[in-house]
Amino acid sequence: MGDVLAEGYNVFNTNKSPEGVIKYLGAPQDVIGLIQSGKLGEHILLVRGGTTTFLAPALSMGAIGVITMSGAPESHLGILSREFQTPCVMTAHLTSSDSRYVVGETDDSHFEEIARELDGKRVRLDCTDHEVGRVVLAD
Amino acid sequence: MTATSEHRATYKQRYQDGDPGLRFQDLTYVGNFKGQEPIPDGILGDRMIRSRAKSGVLERVAKEGVLRDQFTIDELNDLNNYLAWNIWDVLVMRATEGVSGMIPRQEYEILAFMHEFYRWPEILRMTTDEVGAQGIMDIGASARREIGTKVNAVHDWCIGAVGFGMGRCGLLALEAIGPDDYIEESNEILKFMQRVLWGKRQDGYILNSQDRYRCRIHEQDFLDSIVDQVEHFEPDSPPHQAFTRFNAAAELLSFLDHYDCRLGLGDTGPYELPDGKLLILRDLFVNEEAFHWSDVCDDQGLPHCYTLALVIDPDLMSLEEIRVNDISTTFTRPKNYISAIVGGAVFAREKWNTPMAEVYNIPVADLGGHLTKVQNATLKLYQKTSRMNRRDLIWNGQYVYYVDMILPHLRLAGTYDKACKDYQLWEIDQRVSNYYYDITKRGFAQVTVPQKIFSGEGYLPFSDGADTRRSKYRWL
Repeated sequence: MGDVLAEGYNVFNTNKSPEGVIKYLGAPQDVIGLIQSGKLGEHILLVRGGTTTFLAPALSMGAIGVITMSGAPESHLGILSREFQTPCVMTAHLTSSDSRYVVGETDDSHFEEIARELDGKRVRLDCTDHEVGRVVLAD
Repeated sequence: MTATSEHRATYKQRYQDGDPGLRFQDLTYVGNFKGQEPIPDGILGDRMIRSRAKSGVLERVAKEGVLRDQFTIDELNDLNNYLAWNIWDVLVMRATEGVSGMIPRQEYEILAFMHEFYRWPEILRMTTDEVGAQGIMDIGASARREIGTKVNAVHDWCIGAVGFGMGRCGLLALEAIGPDDYIEESNEILKFMQRVLWGKRQDGYILNSQDRYRCRIHEQDFLDSIVDQVEHFEPDSPPHQAFTRFNAAAELLSFLDHYDCRLGLGDTGPYELPDGKLLILRDLFVNEEAFHWSDVCDDQGLPHCYTLALVIDPDLMSLEEIRVNDISTTFTRPKNYISAIVGGAVFAREKWNTPMAEVYNIPVADLGGHLTKVQNATLKLYQKTSRMNRRDLIWNGQYVYYVDMILPHLRLAGTYDKACKDYQLWEIDQRVSNYYYDITKRGFAQVTVPQKIFSGEGYLPFSDGADTRRSKYRWL
């Protein structure tokens, strides 16, 4: 296994190991733009929340992998990524940082740091473990 | 693929007396039981909290008890404690999901909770007056011979857990009410919930968690007619992929049409089939005519509901536990049951009141056209939603909760039009309208609500000697 950049909840265990360039999506317009670009399948999607509506068309159109900065497998995005069989790592934290997400106690700097560190990196998702999903730097 | 000695399901152990079930999370619950042993999730949690009840309301209840109009204070407190734990059990992990980026769900949720607690009691009382206590139980029982009905676990649970539990909890947290305010109204809401759920289950329980997370409500002959239409396939085969892809896409649209909430999804089961496989029946409500934004679903010609029969091979996934929880959602250990689906069938119900005889089967080979319609509606609804301002999003979401949670019961009782016309159902109460400006202050929606409502801290009991007739008389 290569360098593990981030870890979080593994939504469901799968041997699928999608690889792509992480793209941080901050607004619905980003999601629509990515779909219209025709490059949805080239990216691992990084989002802040664990709700499902924000990524709705991306999931429906065939997103290959998802990383969130909050939420759990019981969250709506967790449920839907399982249904789509789209590997998903939730509440990911950077292995190089001590900052962790806590409901109601996490300021924007936590999310900004994760987006800054991961956006644009080529990675693959390792979702073979029952509980822990890993974001691994691709060769 | 066939089961081997390494692939052997153990989930039936969960149904043996004394089995504590698995833990699906590490957290524990305290609620109103400070100083006592914390309560876990799942089967053991249900057993522990029931053992602390003062009344028999959490055990199997006889019909006479359900028909009785008045709960005692002990019964109200037992229901309050149980629902608070049940809410924590199903939602504490979901509630970690943070901001949506699309729909301000925490904001619309808390407004709806409080609106329901204020407004539902007189509408539910009117409905009970119209059809009688037995009529309310019959509404619940109607779900035993139907698919594509919103008289389901999540809607029925929401009457009490959300309208009473979360609504009262939110108003207590906002210090708008005290613990002994609105007792009569609390009784009205909880009686309505108990009658619908009891009529649906007919085993004396009201919640799936009381029955080791089983929601086996359908009559056998009705189930047989569904199972007869199941198509069997191999995991990862083209029909498996077509079926599971459609399941996911339709489920996603059902979430989106219901503003990112669980009201669009309704699972029942698990039903054990003669060959040992498990059946889950899943309603996916992709076009709710009560919502004006569903016009994009109309444009695509989508039905009110798709119902999927999912046949799961428990040995193939070495199933250890399966829960159909009280918000109609299936969770398993191991988590990935999709890969163990070995059969399925799809049905469509065009309108909420389409007769069962007119519900039709869609062969798996024909799902491609339906998938395209679902995807088109998803994109159009997303684009439409992304153009809405924050206030519209919050009030639309509020309506999804406040109206849709009791909509199926009012429809079947024939009181929906009366509720709209004479009780101004779709108007927003001035108190709740004013709370719109309060909920973003001091992090009320994003911090206080998760702490009080989803952690179970804020469900204060009624006083032992409180008067069950009490409403609220003083604003001091």
